[in-house]
Amino acid sequence: MDRSTLSESLHPLEIQVLAAFSPSDHVLSDQHLHERCQLDSSQLSMAVGWLVAKQLLEIKSETVTFWVSLTDRGKEYLTRGSPPRWILHMAEEAEQAGRHLTIPVLLDAGQFEPTEISRAIGALKKEGAIRLGAGGVIERTGQPSPTAEALETLLERVRDQAQDLLTLPSVLQAVARQYAVKRGNPQEPFRIEERIHREYRLTPLGRSVAVACQPGVGEEEISQLTPELLKDGAWRTKRFRKYTIQLRPPRTAVGRRHPYREFLDQVKFKLISMGFQEMRGPLVETEFWDMDALFMPQFHPARAIHDVYFVKYPSHAGHIPEPFLSQVAAAHEHGGGTGSTGWRYTYDRERARRLILRSQGTAVSARTLAHHPAIPGKYFSIARCFRYDQVDATHATDFFQVEGIVLGEDITFRTLLGLLTLFAREMAHAQESRFLPAYFPFTEPSVELHVRHPQLGWMELGGAGLFRPEVTHPLGVTVPVIAWGLGLDRMAMIALGLHDIRDLFTADLEKIRSMRRRLF
Amino acid sequence: MPTISIYHHDLEHLLGRSIALHELEAWLPLVKGEIKDHVPATGELRIELQDSNRPDLWCVEGIARQIRAALQQQPVTYSFFSQKPRIRRRIRVMPGLETVRPFVVACCARGYTITEDSLTQLIQAQEKLADLYGHKRWTVSIGLYRLAAIRFPVTYGLVKPDEVRFVPLGFTEKLTLGEILSIHPKGQEYGEILAGHTSLPLLWDQEGQVLSFPPIINSQDLGEVKPGDTELMVEVTGTDLRMVLLTLNIFAVNLADRGATIEPIDIVYPWTTEWGRTLRTPFTINQIQRISVHAIEAALGVPLGAEAIQQALAAYGYDVKASRHTLAVRLPPYRQDVMHQVDVAEDVAISRGYNSFTPLMPAQFTVGGLSSVERLSDHVRDLMIGAGFQEIFSNILMSREDLLSRMNLPDTPETAVLEIENVMSHNYSCLRSWIIPSLLRVESASSRSFYPHRLFEVGEVAIPDSTQENGSLTLTKLGALVAHPAANFSEVHTTLDMLLYYLLTPYILEPIPHPSFLEGRAGRIIWNTCQIGLIGELHPAVLEAWHVEKPVAVFELNLDTLCQRWAQEGLGVIP
Repeated sequence: MDRSTLSESLHPLEIQVLAAFSPSDHVLSDQHLHERCQLDSSQLSMAVGWLVAKQLLEIKSETVTFWVSLTDRGKEYLTRGSPPRWILHMAEEAEQAGRHLTIPVLLDAGQFEPTEISRAIGALKKEGAIRLGAGGVIERTGQPSPTAEALETLLERVRDQAQDLLTLPSVLQAVARQYAVKRGNPQEPFRIEERIHREYRLTPLGRSVAVACQPGVGEEEISQLTPELLKDGAWRTKRFRKYTIQLRPPRTAVGRRHPYREFLDQVKFKLISMGFQEMRGPLVETEFWDMDALFMPQFHPARAIHDVYFVKYPSHAGHIPEPFLSQVAAAHEHGGGTGSTGWRYTYDRERARRLILRSQGTAVSARTLAHHPAIPGKYFSIARCFRYDQVDATHATDFFQVEGIVLGEDITFRTLLGLLTLFAREMAHAQESRFLPAYFPFTEPSVELHVRHPQLGWMELGGAGLFRPEVTHPLGVTVPVIAWGLGLDRMAMIALGLHDIRDLFTADLEKIRSMRRRLF
Repeated sequence: MPTISIYHHDLEHLLGRSIALHELEAWLPLVKGEIKDHVPATGELRIELQDSNRPDLWCVEGIARQIRAALQQQPVTYSFFSQKPRIRRRIRVMPGLETVRPFVVACCARGYTITEDSLTQLIQAQEKLADLYGHKRWTVSIGLYRLAAIRFPVTYGLVKPDEVRFVPLGFTEKLTLGEILSIHPKGQEYGEILAGHTSLPLLWDQEGQVLSFPPIINSQDLGEVKPGDTELMVEVTGTDLRMVLLTLNIFAVNLADRGATIEPIDIVYPWTTEWGRTLRTPFTINQIQRISVHAIEAALGVPLGAEAIQQALAAYGYDVKASRHTLAVRLPPYRQDVMHQVDVAEDVAISRGYNSFTPLMPAQFTVGGLSSVERLSDHVRDLMIGAGFQEIFSNILMSREDLLSRMNLPDTPETAVLEIENVMSHNYSCLRSWIIPSLLRVESASSRSFYPHRLFEVGEVAIPDSTQENGSLTLTKLGALVAHPAANFSEVHTTLDMLLYYLLTPYILEPIPHPSFLEGRAGRIIWNTCQIGLIGELHPAVLEAWHVEKPVAVFELNLDTLCQRWAQEGLGVIP
C-alpha cells in the first residue's frame, strides 16, 4: 500500500495521534500523547494499537514504575490519625484524666478494626513507646514512635498526589510496602500501583504519513453515510474516510444447502434429464418386498440376523397383497410358470410378513413393478437403506442407494450396456468404460460397470442386470426390465474432500459450514 | 462372496502352462473373480469370487478348470461319473436319520500323494463350502479320511450321546458325543445344529471304528489327513441331497484334476430318495435341457446363431449339441446353478466376453419427473435457504433417549417408537419419529460454531401405525431450529408464517401443553382442522438434556399431510 492510500484510509483517531508528533520530535511518551491528543485512554490505546499494527509507529522503550497513593482508609487515617498515633493520644488523655487505658477500651471505641489495633500495639511496644502494666494498662514511656511518625509523613506526602515509590526515603518506602493493600487485606491506607510508561517513535513510513496529517483534518471525515446526511444534502461538504479494504471481514451465517444433499440433488436432476421418474417407498419393509419379491431365497446367507435390522414391534405386517404373495411363493418353490425350476424349498409365508428396515433400494423397484409401471418406462429412487454393520470410516448406519429400473419391449443385454455407457458419461464424465460379469440374486445377466473417472482413474460405478423372469412375472410384468444401481458415495466424498463416510452426516455445524465441493 | 487364497505356481500346475498375472486378470471375468492382493515373494494371490451360486469356483482347481475350458474351447470331462467300480464299497444309512441329518454321500480318491500345498487348498475348499454354501454346516458338512484304515461297509446311524466314545481331532482322550458337544471347540461352535435331538448322527466302520460325528468333528484316528497320504475317502452329510451331491462332485473333480483316481461308493438308504434307494456316488443329477436359440438371442440382443452359441457354451464347460433352433445343453456335474434359460444366456455372454457386445442406447422416449412430495420438499428447502437457514442432513437411526427422555417426553414401554430388535449400537437403535431431535444433535455438538444457528432438515421419519400394511408410516417432514442468545418463539413464528404464506396454506396456531416446550409457548399448526405441524420454544429441561446453552425455538411441518391436503383442496399438484 502506498503512502497516500494509507493516509487516506486512516481512522480519525489514528490521524489525531499522528498529528501529535511535530516534525521535530519523533518520539513521544504515552503521557505526552495523552496530553496532546486529549483522547481518553481507551481510545488512545486503540488508535496506537492500530498504528503499531500498520507499522507507522513503534515502541521505543518501556519502563515500569511503582506509585504510592492513598486509599479510602488512608483518607480516614488523615482525619483521625493513624492507629499508633491515636493509641498514643488515647494513652495521654487517660493519664491526664487519671483513668486506666486497656485494650478492651480501645476496641470498644470502634474507631479501628481489632487487627489494626493489635498491629499498632505490637509496633509501639516493640519500639518502646508504650508498655503494658499491671491489669493490661497501657502506659506511655515517653519514647517516640518512628512508625507513627513515618506513617504521618507518608500520609501527608501522598495526600494530594501519588508518589513514585523509589523516590521516597527508604523509611517511607518500607512503611508504604508494609501498609499497602495486598490480597486478602484490603483495609490498608496505601495502594502501590504498577505503571507502564511507553515511548513511541514514528517509523520512517510513519514520519512521512504524519506530515500529511495536518491538525484539523480528522474532524471533517465521516465514516458512515446516514439518511440524515442524504436528506439535508450535508454529504456534499463532507469527506468520507477510505477503508482499508484489504482487511478480512467478519464471517457471516448463510442459508445454504447441505453439500451432500446438493450432490444428490444433482444426481436427481441428471436422472430426470435422462427421462427417469422418481419412485418412493417405505423405510420399514417386509421381507417380502425387500427380498422375496427379488427372488432371494429365504435361506439366502445375506438374510440372516447379522445382515438386516429387524423391527421389534410391530414385528410383522398385517398381510401381503395377493396375487403377489402366491405368485412369488410359487416362483420360489418350483418356478411357478416362469420357466424356472425355482429354489425347490417350502416357502414360509409367515416369514414374508416379517418387518425389517429396508436393506436395499431395489425393494422400491419391486413395489413399482407390482403397481402398473409405464411401459416403456424409466424409474429411479434415492432410497435410504440400512445394514447391520459396525459403524466406521467406510460403513454408515444408514446410507443412500441410487437405484432404478428401465422397462421396455426393446430391452436386451445390449441396451443394458448402452444404458450403463450413458451413466458412465453423464454421471462420471468418463469416456472409457468396461463391463465385468457380476452376481446379484435378482438379475441375469448381471454386470458391473467400471469407468475411467477423469480424476480418480478406474473405479466401479455401479451394478446392473436384467431382472430374472422369476422377479418380474410374479409381479405382473412380462417385458424385459433392466435393474441398475449406482455407487456414488465415493464420488461424493471426493467432491466434498472427505475421507470418512460418517462425515457425510456429521453433527458438527462448523464442518458443515466450511464444507465446499466441486461441481461435477 | 468368498475370498480365497491360492498360489500362482499351483494354478500354473493345474493349468498345465505358465500364466502371467495380467493374463490371469484378463481370464478372471470368466469366474467373476477379482485379485484383491498379491504377494510376489510367495506367489500368494487373494481372489474374491462373486457368484454365490457357483461354489465350484471357490477353489484354485475350479478357477483353473474354467480357464482350461476356455483355452481348449471345449469342456473338461470326467469319466468316473459313469464308471463301474472295481471294488464295491458301501455305506449303509440307518432309519431315523430322516429327522436329524438325512443324507450322506461319499467317494474314494486314490493314487495321488497329498502335498502340503494341496492339503491347504483341500481344507480351504472344505471350509468355504461348509461355511458359505452349507450355511455354517447346517445344510452341508464335509469329512476327509485316510481310506486305508477304514473297513467297509461303513454305517451312518444314530447313537445316544453317551453310547459311544472316540478321540476327536485335536484331542488325545476318548470323549462321548455329549462330552464333545460341551467341551470340544467345534462342539461348542456347531452343537446348535443338533440341538433338541436325543440321538446323534455317527459314521462308523465294520470294526466299530468311528469315522466322524457329523457335522461336528472327525475322529483323530481315521479323520486326520496328512501330507504324504495317498488314499482318501471324502464324505459329505447334510439336509439337502442336491447340495450334498454337488459338494461331493466338486471334491471329486478337484482331486481328479490333481491326478487322483476317483472310485465311487454305494450309499444304501432305508427309504427311497429322489434318485432311488441306492446311490452310487459321485453321480450327476443334471439332465439334458432344451433351450431355444431364439430365447438366447432375444436376451442378448444379438442374432448369434446356434453354432456360435454352441461354441460359447462348450468353451464354458457345457455339454452341448445344437440344431438350427434348439440347443440340447447339460451342465457339468460340478454345477447346479441353471434355474432358467436366462442363466444359460449369461454364460454365453460371459464366455464370449461382455466387452464383445456393442452397447445400444435405449431408444424409447420417456418423461422424467419427481414425486409430488419431493417437489414440495425442494420448494420448501429453497424457501428455508432464502430465510437464512443452513440445511442439515442426518442419520435417521437414533436412540430411544434422543427421541423421548431427552425431549422431556415420557418413556414408558407403551410409547410407540419403531425400534430395532437386533440392535448393533445403542446410539442407532430406533427410527426417528420426528426431526427436531436430529437438529438438536447438531446443536448439541456445535456450541463452538459462531451464532446465530438457523438449521433445517427435510427428511424421512417413521411412526408405528396399525392401519398401514407395514404397521408403520414413513413421512417426510420439515424441521427448523433457531438458537442464539435472543432466540424465541416469535422468530420461528415469523419464519413459519412466511413459509406457509408462500405455500398458499392459511393456518392457525392452537396452544397446547407439550412437555418439550415452555408452557404457553407451544402450539399445533392447524389448516382446516387438520394438524400439519408443531411449533414452540424448547423447555430448558430439554436444552439441559442436550447440553445446549442457548435458547432454542423450533417448528416442524408434515409435508406428506400438506401434499394430501393440497390434492384434497383442489389446489392441484405442488408447482
